[in-house]
Order: sequence, then C-alpha cells, then structure tokens
Amino acid sequence: MLQGALAGLAAGGLYAALAVCLTLMSRLVRVVNFSQAATGMFGAFVAVWLVTAAGLPIWLGSVLGILLAGALSAAIGWIAATWLSEASTTARSAMTVGPLLLLISLSFILFGNKPQPFSPILGGPAFEFGGVVVSQVTVVMVLLAVVVAVAVQLILTKTAVGTQLRALSERPTTAELLGIPSKPLSIAVWAATGVISAIAIVIVAPSQSNDATSLAMLIVPASAAALLGGFTRPGLAVVGGLALGVLSGLVAQIEEVALIRNFLPFLFIVVLLLWTQRKEVWDSAR
Amino acid sequence: MNRRVIGVAALAAAALVLSGCGGASSSSSSNSPIVVGSINTRSGPATFPEASQAAAAVFDAFNQAGGLNGRKIDYKTFDDKGDPATASASARELVGSDNAVALAGSASLLECQVNQKYYEQQKILSIPGIGVDPGCFNSPNISPANLGPYNDMALTLFYGSEKLNLDKICVLLEIAGSTRPAYQGAIDTWSKATGKKPFYIDDTVQVGASDFTPYIVKAKNAGCKSVAINAIEPDAVAQVKAANAQGWNDVTWLYLTSVYSDNFAKAVSNAGSGIYVPAEFYPFTDASNQINKEWRDLMTKNNIPLTSFSQGGFLSAKYLIQALQGIKGDVTRESVTKALHELQPIQNPMVGTPYTFGTASTHANNTAAWPIKLASGTNAWQSSGSDWIKLPQ
Repeated sequence: MLQGALAGLAAGGLYAALAVCLTLMSRLVRVVNFSQAATGMFGAFVAVWLVTAAGLPIWLGSVLGILLAGALSAAIGWIAATWLSEASTTARSAMTVGPLLLLISLSFILFGNKPQPFSPILGGPAFEFGGVVVSQVTVVMVLLAVVVAVAVQLILTKTAVGTQLRALSERPTTAELLGIPSKPLSIAVWAATGVISAIAIVIVAPSQSNDATSLAMLIVPASAAALLGGFTRPGLAVVGGLALGVLSGLVAQIEEVALIRNFLPFLFIVVLLLWTQRKEVWDSAR
Repeated sequence: MNRRVIGVAALAAAALVLSGCGGASSSSSSNSPIVVGSINTRSGPATFPEASQAAAAVFDAFNQAGGLNGRKIDYKTFDDKGDPATASASARELVGSDNAVALAGSASLLECQVNQKYYEQQKILSIPGIGVDPGCFNSPNISPANLGPYNDMALTLFYGSEKLNLDKICVLLEIAGSTRPAYQGAIDTWSKATGKKPFYIDDTVQVGASDFTPYIVKAKNAGCKSVAINAIEPDAVAQVKAANAQGWNDVTWLYLTSVYSDNFAKAVSNAGSGIYVPAEFYPFTDASNQINKEWRDLMTKNNIPLTSFSQGGFLSAKYLIQALQGIKGDVTRESVTKALHELQPIQNPMVGTPYTFGTASTHANNTAAWPIKLASGTNAWQSSGSDWIKLPQ
C-alpha cells in the first residue's frame, strides 16, 4: 500500500508543479492556460534536439530548451495582452487551445511522433524508507512543487511586484490609472510559468512516456489538481496534485478498481465540481 | 454569327469529352496500371507508417524494371487515422471505386477487424505487411506476412520459460480495443505447450499512460522475476525507466517485436537482467549479414527506417508480385484471388516459416521468430541464438 502511494508521488509532484502554474495564471492574468504543459513539452523536445543533434552538453541544452519554453509562453502572453486584454476569461482561455494544438502538430512535424531519447538528468532510487524505494525524481518533483508554491505566496504577499500584480488582477483599471505597467507584468507572469513548467517536464520526461501528446495532455490532471484550490490557492493546488498522484498509484495496486486509474483525473474533477456546487439551488438564475 | 460559333465550339467540346471517355474505357485491360492498395494507421495514437512505404519502394522498383509484362502497379495507400469509420470508407474507395485487385503492405491498428467482412463480400484478398489486430488472423481473406503480436506473445513466454529457464513470469497487458481474448489465447497456447502458468496477469495497464511506476511497483512487490509485456515502443521505454527509478535491476524483460528498434536500444541503458524479444523477421540490426541485403539496400536508397515493420511491408509486396507473375491471362481481382489461393509456399530466409495463402478459414502461417536481446550498457540489440524459435505444435 505505502509503496503504491509513493509510486504515484513523482507523477503527483509534476501535477502539483503544473497546477501551481495554472493557479498563478488564472489568478494573475485571468486565463486557464491549456498550453501550459505543451510549451514545456516543446522546450524539452528542443533541448533533446540540441543535445543529440547539435552536440551541446546536457545542462546547456536543457537550459536553452527551458528558456525557449519561457519565450514561447511569453509570446502567447503577448497575444493575450495585446488583443484580448479586455476579453472575458473564457475567451482568453479558449485562445490557449490554439497554441496547444499548434505545438503538438509542430513537434510531430519537427521531431516525429516517436518518443524522444531523453538523457536523464536524474535517475535511480534516492533512498529506501521502510523497504519502500523513493526515486530521485520523486524527491526533486515534490520539492519543486512545494518550493514554487511557497515562493509564489511570498512574492505575492511580501514584495512590491507582488502587490502590483495583485492590484492588477483585482482592480485592473484602477491599477493601470495608478501607472502600474500591466502589459510587461502580465507577460512576465506568462514567461515565469512557462519556465517553471518546462523545468518540471525536463526533469520528469526521461522517466515516463515522453511523446508529444502524452506530455501536452498532462494539462488534464494538472487542471484537476488546480481545481482543488479553486484556481486561486497555490497551496491547495499542490495538495491536489500530490493527492491525485498518490491516489492513482494506490488505485493501480488494487485489482478491483485498477481500471478507473485511466480516468481518475476526470472523476476527481467531477467530484470536486459537485462538491463546490453542493449549495447551489435551481432558482430563476438558471 | 456569335451564337453559331458558340454552338460549334460546344459541339466540338462534347465530341472531345465523348471521345476521351471512349478512349479510356477501351484501353483499360491491356495497358492501364494494376491497382494494389493498402490501408494504414499513419496518424493517431499508435502509428505504423513503414510497412506501406517499404511496399511502395518494392512496387516502384518492380515498375522501373518493366512491371508485369509492361503493366505498371499503381500502389494506392490510405491513412485510416486509427478510426474505424475512416478505415471502412478507405476500403470502399479502394475496392469499390479504384477497383483494386488486391491489398498488400497494410499495417493498421484496426483495419482487418473493420473490413474483413467487406473483403469477403468483394472476394478480394489482403496480405498485410504487419497484421496487428486479431482480425488479421481470423479471416479467410487476410494472410499477414508477419507473426503477429499474439503468436509473438506466446513465443516470448516460451523463450523465457524454456530457454532462459525463468520462473515467476508476470504478464502485463496493455489492451487496445478487443484484443484481450487474443492475448489470453496466446497465454493458453504457451501454458498448453509448457505446462506453466503466468505468476499473475495484470490487464489494466494503460496504453500510453504518462507514468508506469505503479504497475512496475506492483509487479516488483508481488515477487515477479520477469515480466512479459505487449507494449509498443514509447510505453516500453517508460516502463523500463520506471523500473530503473525503483532500483529494480534484477528483472528480465520479455517484450514483443514492437520494441525492436535502434531508437529503443539507444533510449535504454539499464536493461535489468536483459530485454529479450522474439523478432518476427531475421534481425536487421546485424548489418553484415546477406539475408537482409536486398531489403536493406532498398530501404536505405529510399530513406525508409530499418524496422521490423518495413521488413513486413517489403515481404508482403514481394509475395504479391510473385503471385502476379504466376497469372496467365488478364490480371483482374478474380485472377489475383485465384493465384493467391493456389500460391505454392514461398521460402524466404528473412522468415522462419514459408509463406502461403491458401483457402483455409484463418491464416497464421508465420509461427517462427528469431531471439534477440538487449543487455544493460550496450545500447545495441544482439542475436541471442543461432536458429529460429518455434512453438511446439
């Protein structure tokens, strides 16, 4: 049982890191970014190409790939900030489906549809805990998720930039009238989340299915995790990600329920939606 | 005046169109190309593009060498996108409107199951390069060039238990569509031949899961000494990596031909106690041998990946050409079907058993495989025996 739970923790850490990025985007720039994992995937694929075809050292290739993912994300953010600044959250979120599909297709065209030969940065077991093996990837992923969530909380509450960001998200017009530079700040948020999700994907990709579709579709469990925090609270998003990972690890161990593992994120989403809507009533508004 | 000119022009155009039609129909039998088709999954969740590329290269070379007494082969390939409706529509276009005489070199996730009844109705035969779904092995009209995943599963279990003397073999199955009974059949074949049973069977392994750690941990904790898995390449890489991360280094992997590629060997450094695969065709990674030379030269010339799939496509096109060359008289669907039904067994050193079509109600005549292995740290496949392995009948 414990082993099963820990087995899902690496995946959980990845979901959590992506969920924190999603939460950040939703809270600060009013968008559910469906291309969150896809930009990371594309950066990671470019990193592999730089290492295998251009002969760069692994660390340099990875850094360049991660920076590219940040730049891609910033470019999408620039589009949102330039043409969709007054649009609704729904419209802005729908726009991100475009880059998601574009990046999947582009990586098929550029890199083929086979999995990429990632050279692992981390590999092997980190330590044993009561006869249970915890892999290095697990340790790093969980740490990454927690560190990102804590850092986000600190930046938002303790720094001047954080205050400006919160002002922008809560009273955009007032903030702009006060002279807060809305466009550069929101593009910076896009770039930062692009970099964070690329780091997470570069770490995890060597040890799991790493074709373009499965990496880009990590957005589904990540959204499920972010939903636990209502797309506003990074701490709960981390909890959601880790819980989802642990749960899917556990479920695989039990013969009778192993099949539901395949759609666990969707079950998670449905249950959460039902729970959050439990006090709603059918009134004249519906 | 003007009106008269237009009238004359219209008449002339009509005459041209009519004569054009007449000309086409009169020359159809003697000089028009022979249409051969194939239906392939080239896009979608799992893709098999090489088989039809290889078959196309064989037909091109055949056409360049003069074709069949001057008649060229027009090879039409369709992408079914892994979608039953597209597979069905493609077959109807190929057989119904393009008037294909036979199919060769197909490799699809589901085409055989979807179209086998239609082929029976239309009395057309298919030689898939790579038969994947169970429908390729249970129809009188389809006889694949390859061994197929089910016989391959039986052989990988047989090799593991009898030649490598492994015990506690766990079977992990990724089930796509309705393939579960076919895999059970393979496991039963192995049990009947050896008297052994799998330590356990886990048929819940997700196709294309993002993380396989939970399944690997389950197998490790249950005490499996080796695992037999039917995964395709991307999943298999992830499964081996998941075991590496768990520090499970004494496991022996029994995979199928689907993981036999240079790409896989490069991606896997720590192969535990070894990855063993029964290759459906003579191993292509040994560049020096002469058995694969014709295939290797043709693939290299046309920039087609060297894989088992391109071996299957190559062979299926060769088999069809041999049948076509035996036809006396006009090449029609009826004469091609008859030629394939009466085809004498074709020996080819690239496969362990001769190819036949015949009139049996099902076809699975390729029953041999060549054992190969990937050892830790080598990043290259090696031959693991000196002869074909066959299931005892």
